[in-house]
Amino acid sequence: MLKIEHLSKQFGDLKALNDVTYNVKEGEIMGLIGQNGAGKSTTFHSILSFIHYDGEISWQDQPINEKVFNDIGYLPEERSLMPKMTVEQQILYLARLKGQSAKQIKPEIDRWMNRFEVKGRKTDKIKALSKGNQQKVQLICTLIHQPKLIILDEPFSGLDPVNVDILEQAILNAKHDGAAIIFSSHDMGNVEALCDELVMMRRGEVVLHGGIRDIRDEFGKDEVFVTTDWARTDLAALPHVIEVVERSRNRYLLRLDEPTAGKDIFQRLSHGEYIEEFSQQPPTLEEIFRLKAGDLK
Amino acid sequence: MKKMWVVTLTTYLRQVKSWSFVILVLSPFLMLAVSFGVGFISANSTASTDDIAVVANQPALRQAYIKVAGKDNVNTKVKTASAAKQALKNEKISGYVVLDQGVKYSAVYHGTSSMDTSDKAQLTTFLSKMQTQSNVARAKLSRTQLNQLSQQPVFKEKVQKQTGIAKQAKTVSFWILVFMVYMILMTYSSITAQEIASEKGTKVMEMVFSSTTAAKYFCGKILGVLMVIATQLLVYLIGGWASVLVARNLSMTKSFFASYGTLVDKVIGNLLSVNLLFLFLGVIIYTILAAFSGALVAKAEDASKAAYPAVYLSMIAFFATFPFQNNADALTVKILSYVPFFSSYFMPLRVINEAVSPLAVSMSLLILVISILGLTWYISSIYKGLILQADEGNFFQRFRRGLSYK
Repeated sequence: MLKIEHLSKQFGDLKALNDVTYNVKEGEIMGLIGQNGAGKSTTFHSILSFIHYDGEISWQDQPINEKVFNDIGYLPEERSLMPKMTVEQQILYLARLKGQSAKQIKPEIDRWMNRFEVKGRKTDKIKALSKGNQQKVQLICTLIHQPKLIILDEPFSGLDPVNVDILEQAILNAKHDGAAIIFSSHDMGNVEALCDELVMMRRGEVVLHGGIRDIRDEFGKDEVFVTTDWARTDLAALPHVIEVVERSRNRYLLRLDEPTAGKDIFQRLSHGEYIEEFSQQPPTLEEIFRLKAGDLK
Repeated sequence: MKKMWVVTLTTYLRQVKSWSFVILVLSPFLMLAVSFGVGFISANSTASTDDIAVVANQPALRQAYIKVAGKDNVNTKVKTASAAKQALKNEKISGYVVLDQGVKYSAVYHGTSSMDTSDKAQLTTFLSKMQTQSNVARAKLSRTQLNQLSQQPVFKEKVQKQTGIAKQAKTVSFWILVFMVYMILMTYSSITAQEIASEKGTKVMEMVFSSTTAAKYFCGKILGVLMVIATQLLVYLIGGWASVLVARNLSMTKSFFASYGTLVDKVIGNLLSVNLLFLFLGVIIYTILAAFSGALVAKAEDASKAAYPAVYLSMIAFFATFPFQNNADALTVKILSYVPFFSSYFMPLRVINEAVSPLAVSMSLLILVISILGLTWYISSIYKGLILQADEGNFFQRFRRGLSYK
């Protein structure tokens, strides 16, 4: 288990992290969300001992140092590899730095390249690959030694939907193999689709922490998605409706000031008959993110 | 250690497999081969037209002269006067000698210009020797009379040759050594600084530092570059040794070695001494400095400027030796022969001039080794901070920020 306890970091006058505490268990995916400058990368840099910090960070109850480096797979925020190396040389070099032998890794390279649908040969120079394929090679470098703790800093940024699916599948496979995974993202869709737990950060502090469903429910089911031929003004006149947002023709989002009013609104709209759409939900992660992490607070 | 070795080996193989390294290492040998080749071709092409032919009324006399003059200088294929005339006309030979043996020995030279002075001297000596032998035979002298007539005056020349050669050897050794140190430093300071600077602030270094410690990575890199330098030196040593061996036996350079063999041996002796250790340690400390300055560039794109501090310091030390090459006892030389970065130039200067005790040499070596270890330890400890940050600002601001990246 990755344990982060009372983690704080000061850069000059700037408090980059302030008493951050959470754990990531094996077989669990933790999503780390927050605006730029919220402290996500600083958290990762602290975990990897790139910077000195206050507090405690441990993996399997051991401090994170060279002894546990081989257990870690890390994908940095921006993509960069060694352009003059071939794909094979690059993967082997980083794998050998993770304590693997060339003999172990060499036969695996083709399989991983097929799995990630890398367009190119292993004898190609890194600089000859497209940006997207370089990104995939970097991901192979992160995962090929089958790490037990996987840290991914903005892994989905710049990927097209097909590659997002490939990456999501790789992350789920690693989870299935029992790895503890922590990743940061701006895309709430990825976070919602993959994460068991979520940590939301704002200005170096944890503002939300828990299971995705629990967090959403915490905010109350004050949104109703409905498809109806009622006029917008009539919908706005319903009791406890404070806002009506037209999503498309005849499709609306009603915001309530009281979640219990949902039942009454359903009765009024349906009169007990069939209705195409009526769904009462808590706010989306996106909305919670805007509310808690952004300036809309 | 295993991970450090991975870094070392990768750095080493990447460098030695590059075309620039192969060309760098082989270029002196190629130049040597080309100059030998040109010398050989020009020697051969001039040899044929410079030859003379010998014609005689008695074959034994002709053979006796060819034996004295050497087959290299005589065109032995031309045997008759008419053939010689034709060969001269066709410019195959520079001239021909017609020898005649009677009571008197005579020789007539036919050529387009005067006979070469050394050929003329050789011919005259040959003729007088033959004439003397003939005279003695005709005079029927006793052995005693013959011995008395053979008495020659004595002239001996005694020159202090060894001292002259030793001094020459010192000068030659000095220049070879400082140039070797300077050239190697210039080349490898740039290679090292650029190698490190190109990684500055790149995210792949975060992947590397999530796998091994910055200290191991830094030492691995330095060791890799040093192995490349050692490879180059080894190729030069083996190649140089082989070239000397070949040159000693090559007809065109044989005479050079006959005259300067002692000098060459002395120069080799001066180089293959403790000076080689100073050269290698000097290269190490400058390589570390170059790596450090590489890590201090603002960003990877500035890699080409990275080597400047190491290169400039090396140039200062190099040019500082010039005024002192014949004055190894000067106080400045004595002081600088202990100062790291300068000692690699100045202590060999004192060693070559035999102006230093073994204790002083050992002290200087010790200071150099301690400096290398200290510098390595210090840079290793701040290396992660220097490499992971990519900032604008001047050199000193970046240095300060690198130190405070904690």
